[in-house]
Amino acid sequence: MMEDQLLKWKLRRGSKEALAQVYQMYIDSMLTLAVGLLNNRAAAEDVVQDVFLSFARSAKDLRLHGSLRSYLMTAVLNRVRDRRRQLRRQASRRDATSYVSTQPAEPVCESAGPEQAAIRAEEAIRVTGAIAELPDEQREVVLLRLKANLRFRDIARLQQTSVNTALGRYRYGLDRLRSLLNGEVNR
Amino acid sequence: MRSKNAIEETIRTKLNLTFDPPLRGQLLARALREQEQSQETEPALNRPAIRRMIMKNSMVKLGIAAVIVAVLGIGIVEFLGTGGTSGVVWAEVAKNVEASTGVIFRARGTGSRDPNDDWPNGYTIFSRSAALSRMDKYRGGQIYRTIYTNLDTKTLIGVLHDHKMYSKEAMSDERVQSARAQKGWTDPQGLLNLALSVEHHSLGQKTIDGVLCEGIEGTGPDGSTGRLWVGVETGYPVLIEVEATDKGGIRHTTTMDQFRWNVDLSAEGVEPEVPADYEPL
Repeated sequence: MMEDQLLKWKLRRGSKEALAQVYQMYIDSMLTLAVGLLNNRAAAEDVVQDVFLSFARSAKDLRLHGSLRSYLMTAVLNRVRDRRRQLRRQASRRDATSYVSTQPAEPVCESAGPEQAAIRAEEAIRVTGAIAELPDEQREVVLLRLKANLRFRDIARLQQTSVNTALGRYRYGLDRLRSLLNGEVNR
Repeated sequence: MRSKNAIEETIRTKLNLTFDPPLRGQLLARALREQEQSQETEPALNRPAIRRMIMKNSMVKLGIAAVIVAVLGIGIVEFLGTGGTSGVVWAEVAKNVEASTGVIFRARGTGSRDPNDDWPNGYTIFSRSAALSRMDKYRGGQIYRTIYTNLDTKTLIGVLHDHKMYSKEAMSDERVQSARAQKGWTDPQGLLNLALSVEHHSLGQKTIDGVLCEGIEGTGPDGSTGRLWVGVETGYPVLIEVEATDKGGIRHTTTMDQFRWNVDLSAEGVEPEVPADYEPL
């Protein structure tokens, strides 16, 4: 969009207003994606902070042709992958069995009333927990598609695979989520 | 049992996390400091490249076109359902719209997340034909954006009047093909498909801006409601109103009026002239 283009132009000129606007527009989506990918709120907050601070430092040199949203979400994904590798190494050294929290993150949902917020939070916790059960590749595709609005072509490039494989991972991911969530409902 | 669609919808709309307020404020403050420090250490680059992003604005136009298609689709159902016994022959409306060389209309809306869509002061004037498309956005009576595409010359021009900037670029063949494929209300097959998927009822007749109109109201499969008012004498749409709720639960209304049908846009000079003091984006 042209407004996106204008924001990038302002950022290259050091506009604080533009940086604040980007922050307001994308920071929560970045957090949602990071939590979904890591299933660990504290680690996700660290990732998002790292990404956004790095973005703020380099905004004046911004030379991207795609959307800001896509850029920031991709940056979150890359940082999450680094974090996963780091956590795996640490876990391996500790001989731990898991590198992420066994409890789902506690989402804070935007809502009008406390009752509705509670219902939505509960639903979000269930979904986040189910997403955490997916293999990394499937989790990435599902979240990048549904929360970052990336195209399958772009997701495939990020995963260094074919579009068909990305589509397959998405389909398998949703099947698995359906099974997990419906099983939960039926219990 | 949840369907796959329901799960997609849940993830899209209900899985929304936010930073706690103190952390939120701290992070923004740190980011602003980092930005400031980076400005002090290195000069900013001042030669932005021309971007390809403007084309996405055409999706807005196509969205509006789709709305018209949807509402006109309701009209065809009216015709199919009643045999066209009322004052307006709805099949003729679809034919008129399809055959129109070009159209100019005003669109206004509420509920958009776009902070620049400041109803009731903001509105957009659309000019469209098969090859030409222009969108002029106004706020407080002042024009602040113009987006123009010419599919024949493969030209894309964006003008940011409020910043005295512009962008001109060539459209790729892929983008041109994509834009041509999405013909909106000029696609009779699309009209028919949509017509068969919605229900409607008659709103009777009323006079709008001095024109006797006949209206119908229909509800689409997604729950959106459309009202179409057509001039009894001319057989062209005069007013279109659409109400819909998006996936985020926000209620949107869109109103299209001030239609001028059968306009020869090539003669209207719709290509924007960029003032000499505007800088390239």
